[in-house]
Amino acid sequence: MRAAFVQAGYGLRLRRRRSLVTALGIALAAAMLAASLVVSDSLGRGFERATRAAGLADVIVRFDPEPAAIVSQRIQALPDIATFSLGQELTDLSVGADGHGSSQAALEVVGPGRRGYAIVAGRDLDNAPDQVVVERGLAAAWGIRLNSLIQIAGLPPQRVMGFSEAPDNVSYPLAVPRIYVSQATLAAQGVELGQSVNLAQIWLRDPRYLDEVLVQARATSYGLRGLQFVTRSGVRVLLDQAAGIVIDLLVALSLIALGTAGVMLAASARAEVQQRLAAIGVRRAVGASRAHLAATQALEALLVAAPAATIGTAAGTLATYGPTSRLLMMLNEPPAGVGLLAPLAAGWLASVAIPALAVAWPAWRAAGHPPVSLLRGAELRRRRRSSSPRGGPTLATPRPGLGRRWAPRARLALLGGRLAGARRARLVATATALGFSIGFVLLLLALASALSALETDPGALGKRYQLTASLPASAVAQVERIHGVQAAAPRYEDQAADAFSLGETIDVIAYPGDHTIFEAPPLTAGSRLRRPREAEVGAGLAEALGLAPGSTLAIELPSGTELRLRVSGIVSSLDHDGRVAYVPAAALLAADLSASEELAVRVRPGANLTAVSNALGAAAEPATTATGRGVPLVEVLRAILRAIAIVDGLVCVYALIQACALTVHERRRTVAVLRAFGAGAPAVRRLLTGAVVALVLPAAGLGILLERLVLGPALARLAVNYATLPLSAGLPEIAAVLAGLIVAGAVAVFWVARQATRESVILGLSGT
Amino acid sequence: MGVGRAARRVLDSVSLDVDAGEVVAVLGRSGSGKSTLLHLLGALDRPDAGRIVLAGNELTAQPARALARTRLRHVGFVFQSFHLIEELSGEENVLLPARLPGAARGGERRGRALIEQLGLSEIADRRPHELSGGEQQRFALARALVNDPELVLADEPTGNLDQENGAAVLALLRGMNGRAVVLVTHEPEAAAIADRVLHLGDGRLEAAAHTQAPVRALKSV
Repeated sequence: MRAAFVQAGYGLRLRRRRSLVTALGIALAAAMLAASLVVSDSLGRGFERATRAAGLADVIVRFDPEPAAIVSQRIQALPDIATFSLGQELTDLSVGADGHGSSQAALEVVGPGRRGYAIVAGRDLDNAPDQVVVERGLAAAWGIRLNSLIQIAGLPPQRVMGFSEAPDNVSYPLAVPRIYVSQATLAAQGVELGQSVNLAQIWLRDPRYLDEVLVQARATSYGLRGLQFVTRSGVRVLLDQAAGIVIDLLVALSLIALGTAGVMLAASARAEVQQRLAAIGVRRAVGASRAHLAATQALEALLVAAPAATIGTAAGTLATYGPTSRLLMMLNEPPAGVGLLAPLAAGWLASVAIPALAVAWPAWRAAGHPPVSLLRGAELRRRRRSSSPRGGPTLATPRPGLGRRWAPRARLALLGGRLAGARRARLVATATALGFSIGFVLLLLALASALSALETDPGALGKRYQLTASLPASAVAQVERIHGVQAAAPRYEDQAADAFSLGETIDVIAYPGDHTIFEAPPLTAGSRLRRPREAEVGAGLAEALGLAPGSTLAIELPSGTELRLRVSGIVSSLDHDGRVAYVPAAALLAADLSASEELAVRVRPGANLTAVSNALGAAAEPATTATGRGVPLVEVLRAILRAIAIVDGLVCVYALIQACALTVHERRRTVAVLRAFGAGAPAVRRLLTGAVVALVLPAAGLGILLERLVLGPALARLAVNYATLPLSAGLPEIAAVLAGLIVAGAVAVFWVARQATRESVILGLSGT
Repeated sequence: MGVGRAARRVLDSVSLDVDAGEVVAVLGRSGSGKSTLLHLLGALDRPDAGRIVLAGNELTAQPARALARTRLRHVGFVFQSFHLIEELSGEENVLLPARLPGAARGGERRGRALIEQLGLSEIADRRPHELSGGEQQRFALARALVNDPELVLADEPTGNLDQENGAAVLALLRGMNGRAVVLVTHEPEAAAIADRVLHLGDGRLEAAAHTQAPVRALKSV
């Protein structure tokens, strides 16, 4: 073993530069693997950790306020109840702290018993008055510190005693600010809410009987109105939908990065062993065992892989832990912490073991050959029957139209392509791995473009107006006279409920005339509304209520009036998860005069939006975008995707450099012969350019096709099934990736050519 | 001219002039520095001290790029193990130096003529592994001549060939009118074609008088 260590150390010193390239590949693969593990483990098991820490109830029931005694009686009648607690939830309250504020806060008055949240800093509420616990996400967003004061409408300043995490909902800013206060605080203000509760948290003895309990609960809830059930599994499904996309993307990306790095490492190891065949033969001839030779190679690989994997794992972890923890905070879930150590250690082990095995295996195979054939320079594989020299393009045939000035350059590049193509299996494997990487980078770019559009461009939602103004319908003519305004119309919006089940809330939008001038979400079925009693509905609503063109949409408006309309068409809309309905203004106003009114203002193309906004004055607001309150989530997602895209891009660069280096390494003599006959560095670069082009062209084609035909549409379906999200890479994304590939290829060519031309021609000719 | 590597002086006070049309053979034991001498003459290596002048250009002070150009235009190499590129046919191998950027005009025409002259037309489209050793060395010889170099350097050109093929290659080297040919070998039979035979030993280059008679005898081959 000692001898193996000594030989491994010697080999490492001898092949310092190649070892560095190998280490780079291992570090990149380890970084990708660590990033994937951090995000997938954190997000994948975050809900589990959060529910365990918070003791989340199996069922959370919201209802119209009722005396606590009645509610207790109803709950006690249910089977399999372990325990329950009652509380009061007050919504749309004004709160403020440290210069921040919101008028939509939810205040939860907690009673005795379990509370369903975890305290992550400070302490929980006790029976003393004027104490609150705030959500960690809210504290982070507003910079609230422990023991600082927070203003809540109707209450004196409250002291923040602790920060909480309750995984039954996402945190501020994705949801409204949530604050917990004890009954003692309200009692100190003379408010007695104990007799009137609207929230119950129920824990079951055996959560497997949840469905039976829910059926029973619905049957015995007579007297309770406005019932809304939230189950633990339901919350999980909702959160998993968001996190699932990120995890799926990451797992796929890390597999591709690992695959790419694996292909390159295996090819490099094989080439290395091929070059050392004679040395292996000599050692075999003097009595070295097969195992000793394989162990020496594996040890050498281990000496390179261990530090590289450590650096890569640390880099991948550092790059993603921060953004992931921020994302978890928004999801009201705790960071993974030390729980990540085990998967990261497993990832590190894999990053070390795979390269060692990749080297040991060909060495083991080679050492199995008779020493005599090894000394004669046997190939690791059986020599393939060569193809006819007449087949395929030959260097002897200049392409017509290729001038004298370009012909030698093109021929050298063509030779480079042929050298790369000589290892056909490797070329296919590398091009495939690279193609997948390119496909995923394209997907990430398309996703980033889509997110940006949703965040900043109202047009992404089919909105054609850029501004809204809090002005009455009578101001339309006046607004249309403003320079730069193309059209203006009153826009009415109401929140209705499905008249049959009263479960689904629906955004009802109405214009007096043709709404497509201001909002034209893509029509996916049927036709635009033309008649007074017709409606266009979002695909999300159509799916939820089973609507199709020709069906009847029955909605109950806040006025209590039921409005029945014929569905003329289905539109693709991201607003309110696609649960929207476009109706004629006359029909809406006839049923509910209290519908909110504002003016939608469409600005002429090229007009100055700021000038129009200034002319409208304080009444003007930019049109809302799709992400709305989710902007911070989008930012965090973008940070994660950016980190992954960078690592994936580096994997592409590594693959290209390694492919070039392998071509030169294996064709060292060819390069030396060319140089002996007068080829300078530019000629070597041309040769390598051909090798890179032979790899990049099919890879780019594969990547583009993969993204446009498979990955983009699949992710779009996965992300939102109620709308058409354009995730197929467009020309700008493809151009950006091709430009990146050209840069990466140029870096690879220059770097490897520099290394190749630094070597002595004599050494290259001798092959030592 | 002297080269010192790892505290070992390989060539010491070596002085050699080769005229156009002259064939010089350098004999010596393995490790005597024959190949080092050839590499220095061919601008593949630089001496630690001394001057090398080729076709009126001093190589010693030239940068790597200029040395590459010198090799392209003025030097042709013939290697013991041929070093033909596997992916290319015999003809493509021959034409390769003529197709490098910066090569003189007319190389391709000359290359095809050489293939014809050397009787390789029938097998010009074969890959190296489909050729015999003698055929490979003839293609290598054609490749060395394709850019019409003033100096041809042959490093053990018959080392991997049988007697018959070796003799044919030597005859071709002998027949290169107007070019300076330096061949290094450890085989006296190969040296027999030379106008001048030198012996390299202990880093010094000296005339090997005892080979003069066979040279004259074989000149008519």
